[in-house]
Amino acid sequence: MHIFTCTRNYEAMLTCIYVAWASGFGHKNIKLELEPFGQYSIFDEYTHVDADTALAQKVMDAVNMKLSPYFYSEIAYISMGYEEDVLDIMYRMMLYGFTYGNKALNMVQFDEIARYKAIRKRIGNEICRFKEFSRFHRIESGAYVAHIEPKSNLLLALGPIFQDRMPSENWMIVDDVHKEAIIHPINQNFYLRILNDEELENVLASERENDEYTDMWKVFFETIAIKERENPTCQNSHFPKWTRKHVVEFMKDS
Amino acid sequence: MYEIQNEMSLMDKLEILGDAAKYDVACTSSGVDRRGKEGFLGNSCAAGVCHAFAADGRCISLLKILMTNHCVFDCKYCRNRSSNDIKRATFTPDEICDLTIEFYKRNYIEGLFLSSGVINNPEYTMEKMCETLRLLRTKYKFNGYIHVKAIPGAPQELIYSAGLLADRISINMELPTKESLSKLAPNKSFNNIFGSMGQITDTIAAHRMAIGKDSRMERSDINQYLDNSIFSEKKRIEDSKKDLFLPADINDTKLKRNFASAGQSTQMIIGATNESDYDLIRTTQYLYQHYDMKRVFYSGYVPLNDDPVLPEIGTPVPLLREHRLYQADWLLRYYGFQANELLSEKNPNFDERIDPKCFWAISHLEQFPVEINTASHDVLLRVPGIGPLGVKKIVSARRYGSVTFPMLKKMGIVLKRAKYFITCNGRMMERIPIEEKFILGQLAGLEEKKNKEIQKPEDNYHQMSLFTDFGMSVQA
Repeated sequence: MHIFTCTRNYEAMLTCIYVAWASGFGHKNIKLELEPFGQYSIFDEYTHVDADTALAQKVMDAVNMKLSPYFYSEIAYISMGYEEDVLDIMYRMMLYGFTYGNKALNMVQFDEIARYKAIRKRIGNEICRFKEFSRFHRIESGAYVAHIEPKSNLLLALGPIFQDRMPSENWMIVDDVHKEAIIHPINQNFYLRILNDEELENVLASERENDEYTDMWKVFFETIAIKERENPTCQNSHFPKWTRKHVVEFMKDS
Repeated sequence: MYEIQNEMSLMDKLEILGDAAKYDVACTSSGVDRRGKEGFLGNSCAAGVCHAFAADGRCISLLKILMTNHCVFDCKYCRNRSSNDIKRATFTPDEICDLTIEFYKRNYIEGLFLSSGVINNPEYTMEKMCETLRLLRTKYKFNGYIHVKAIPGAPQELIYSAGLLADRISINMELPTKESLSKLAPNKSFNNIFGSMGQITDTIAAHRMAIGKDSRMERSDINQYLDNSIFSEKKRIEDSKKDLFLPADINDTKLKRNFASAGQSTQMIIGATNESDYDLIRTTQYLYQHYDMKRVFYSGYVPLNDDPVLPEIGTPVPLLREHRLYQADWLLRYYGFQANELLSEKNPNFDERIDPKCFWAISHLEQFPVEINTASHDVLLRVPGIGPLGVKKIVSARRYGSVTFPMLKKMGIVLKRAKYFITCNGRMMERIPIEEKFILGQLAGLEEKKNKEIQKPEDNYHQMSLFTDFGMSVQA
């Protein structure tokens, strides 16, 4: 088995797909993996692939033109996932796509397509969670800052959602795990910025800035529950604990 | 008469009026898609967004508050009734707007749910509520979701204004029969409630037709495949087109908003009087068909007041019954069932052991097993464990090859329930006797744990710990 590996960078992932496809080993003998991985196998051959804009562009063009922009958007969508096999699934999706056309996306008879559907659903749910549970803090300058710790790299999916919600506000969402942030200046489009450690340290302080509205929200959150109906299991299943790290109503007062 | 007082802090008011509003069930922000606009704050998403889940597991989507908990009415079941000695407070319109805007910007809420006790009279209360909403929409430029409660008996023009300013408007029906209402809520009249409800229905229909839409609200698209659905019969609105209400210009029409674009809803209290489940779901179906309700909510009665005509304080909330009624409500709206298929005069209450769909399937075993690869939408939808989404997935997958049990599992079909009722390519998943008693036992066994959790959520098992359960401490 020939295993092609690359980092979790969208361009590198597409390049890796191009190189693997062009390698000529046969699709059955190829596997694509994302770095870093747990354990090397002694029987497989590993090839590391670096990002190459021109090759990545070729893959993008091929999918967009020979299949459809929708097919391409689906591939880009699942590339956000944290799943280990996501790169291999992207490769197999293209393989079925070029064989059967756009309808391949619905052929759940193939395990890889069923897996793509499952990953897609999970990412959709995760985006939904952070759309709901991101909490903004007002900082001195009047801007609003939120911190999130998602499993997948979904900042770019959250951007349009919040831009539509608060078009005339300055706000920023910081992904503490992937060290990225999207910044939205008032009445403009948002943009993505990769943060260095110093910048991350600076924006982390914003989370400690609470005002009277935070306190009022905590009081409201407590009062709105009906004591006679208390049901922690139900609360946990709708509001999983891993999503609560930056949610003000569960944060202890410092 | 009452005066609006401002001595309390905003925090105190929020605590009192949030607490007073919590028994209202509806907290949905769904039903209308609206993009954000530059210069305004907020948008709206038809699927609804839940921003938090409270300790009782209910979602917090809207800032659910009362404008005031002063009330001249004396409804027996209500905490805010005039004869109760409780702390009272009133928000000023600006305070409500301020809270909504600031909470919204922090992504705590999706909008405002504004209800109120009746202060002075219904007209005065409704006018104050409209004033608040108008301020929120104009001065504060709020474009998010608003759900407003209409006060029954308020003048038609004010309800019209409220509907133009809000996205959803609702009137609480509270009790499904005239007798119970006059017993428990002597100040409210059934005719008043239904009168106002009917007016809202007609105004929504008139507005929808004026902008070129069908007079009836949109329903889940699965209903187009269902011949027997409660929405396939067109009732009331078609008969009453002649007196649809579209009043002359009032100031609020200048805002160019649709009247209650997310429709109308209502809620009923269950467990305070002795109506059967059959009465409740029949009423529900009637409301969907004749009043084009978008939702009917049920509220398990929480005993708050000591009164001889009400259940005693300490009576457990009928949570499992409420759960079964909601399941039945879904069967009406998404699964093409009719109320009289689920229950009957002879058998007026749901079996608490299993859900209504399983109950229906077990009593209609002659229609099963169903072949997954050939069955139609409506037949598939009646199989326990398969929902509207599952049906879509199955139908889509069938176009490219036959569907097997492992595939069903990957699609998220609940095989532990469905396996008793389906075949794939002529075979059942395992050897299963199609006998009512056997299947009932199996399905009831599956639900047992969940039912217990719903009935007594606090009695959950947990991991024992030496420190919390036995009071041990670590010594340095």
